[in-house]
Amino acid sequence: MDLPAGTRNYTYAQDMAIFRTKTHWFLLLVLLVFLFTAPVWFGNYWLSVANLIGITIIAVTGLNLLTGYCGQLSIGQAGFMAVGAYTSAVLVGRFNLPFPVAILCAGVGAGLVGMLFGIPSLRVRGFYLAISTIAAQFIIVWVVSHWTNLTGGFSGMEVKPASIGGFVFRSQASEYFLILGITIAAVFVAKNIARTRTGRAFVAIRDNDLAAETLGINLFRYKLTAFFVGCFYAGIAGSLLAHTSRSVSADYFPFMDSVLFIGMIIIGGLGTTLGPILGAVFLRLLDVLVTKLSPWLQSAFPGLPPGFTSGIAPMLFGLVIVLFLVFEPRGMSHRWQLLKAAYRYWPFSY
Amino acid sequence: MGELLQFTITGLSLGVIYTLIALAFVVVWKSSGVANLALGQLVLVCSWFTYGMLSQAGLPVWAGLPLVVIFALLLGWVIERVVLRPLIAQPILALITVTLGLGYFLQGLVGIVWPQSLVRLPRLFPEQPIHVGPAVVSQEYLWAAVISLLLFGLLTLYFRYNKMGVAMRATADDQKAVQACGIPVTRIFSQSWMFACVLAAVGGVLISSIGNVSNGLVQTGLQAFSVVILGGLDSFLGAILAGPIIGLAETIGSGYLAPLTWNGVREVIPFVIIIIVMFVKPYGLFGERRIERI
Repeated sequence: MDLPAGTRNYTYAQDMAIFRTKTHWFLLLVLLVFLFTAPVWFGNYWLSVANLIGITIIAVTGLNLLTGYCGQLSIGQAGFMAVGAYTSAVLVGRFNLPFPVAILCAGVGAGLVGMLFGIPSLRVRGFYLAISTIAAQFIIVWVVSHWTNLTGGFSGMEVKPASIGGFVFRSQASEYFLILGITIAAVFVAKNIARTRTGRAFVAIRDNDLAAETLGINLFRYKLTAFFVGCFYAGIAGSLLAHTSRSVSADYFPFMDSVLFIGMIIIGGLGTTLGPILGAVFLRLLDVLVTKLSPWLQSAFPGLPPGFTSGIAPMLFGLVIVLFLVFEPRGMSHRWQLLKAAYRYWPFSY
Repeated sequence: MGELLQFTITGLSLGVIYTLIALAFVVVWKSSGVANLALGQLVLVCSWFTYGMLSQAGLPVWAGLPLVVIFALLLGWVIERVVLRPLIAQPILALITVTLGLGYFLQGLVGIVWPQSLVRLPRLFPEQPIHVGPAVVSQEYLWAAVISLLLFGLLTLYFRYNKMGVAMRATADDQKAVQACGIPVTRIFSQSWMFACVLAAVGGVLISSIGNVSNGLVQTGLQAFSVVILGGLDSFLGAILAGPIIGLAETIGSGYLAPLTWNGVREVIPFVIIIIVMFVKPYGLFGERRIERI
């Protein structure tokens, strides 16, 4: 059912390909051309929105590998982003390391911290693990906001803009290209991790970890790998966030963001490549829509309570998460699959 | 010495309030197997509602507090009916994340209705501090402890002697068998949520009469999870014993560790305890260790 009628695979390479038909390649090309020329069409505001979406996609893709594929619920992704952000900011700011080295260190640092907090996952699961990652979130944020002589404490610290070689990413558009490139690479790598032996081991662990262990999957190794990879992505995202917003403080990584990331993979669809992208884009755009609309609504209907502008966004997020879980637990990517199937079989319904 | 006594008394009182909030979790977990991560937000909503009734509407305490209890009962009923009933028998991941979404929703709701960031409840208890030996303790702590202990007593009696209470314990043991006996399991679920909300409300009112009403209450609710984890998820006794331990660790720890570490160490002590318990004894002091088969 995956392929359009009349399309067949004749070689293994064709069978493995992510993009299979000419239409696929054409659509991909159109999308890439659109993405890479976006600075021409959009102003700085929309570019900053796009940058935030890109960073979110990286973090959520990592979380999807950990939670969606491997089934280890982590509600501390924002905390692990903080590890990456501060690692990278300190390495570039204090030790004058080049940005590409710092961002990799940020990923590895966040990954190692994630592995540390992931160790309990070997003995507990579900709710227990959720709680231990929540604890990780609060401990990490507490440490970065109190380790004043390294991180600047509550007031945060300034961060130099990213630079590769001699080129400094100062303008909104250049940052956009940096984030776009890394996001595409991150999604591509995640897609391929999911298709390898490691990815299949993750899925086996998610579906039943005892059964997976009996099949010869080393739980210790694969669960910690999942934590490392998921938090590595968080570290990269955190580093990008720090270097593009030019500053970093503990407020950037609230607990509610960790919850929001979980919401994004639920809305997009757990355990799919497309899911995190759809979820991140949907919720971030909803956020933009609400920030644009609510002051207008506030002035149009003076009867609205004064806290309307600040409270409506979290309320809507929560509502959307609950509604998706109740009505479409497989998320938007499942709807997208249905739509594609319907399109391929048209005008027949089967 | 007076210092230590003071830390002990405040720690114990704080601990029993934590226990109340933790019991709100345990009641739901035991009867329906739902991990309620919106606990902090339930505490938050109920505390703000109390503020709304007592300060904004200006009701006297004898009229306001029963209204808070009624509100909590309604809230619990609505949550169970609207959010959790459609998800019965869904995977645990869905059950956890739906409470996260619920928490997000409630927090937004609070932001809309009460945009203030921090308020104080009107005084519920006399202001005069009490001298216990060399220690000086404000009365809120003692009242909070007394009320919490009273509630524990009531709950214990309810679960032991009331028909519904016994049915709830049975549901915790085996849902299918209970249903086969003709006990309405869904009604038990909704009742456990109503209980949970009332416990969260009382805990919220007590803890915000000591401190104040603000978004920090969400974190307080999350800190109460350390009680659940330390005591064992499915154990009332565990929660009742673990609460004072956590409370003591928090006050004594922050009292004596503050000069050694960064200030504000108090707010992470429960989380550090969670991590330690996870590494050493993940099912807590009294938690039931389930043996799983494929």
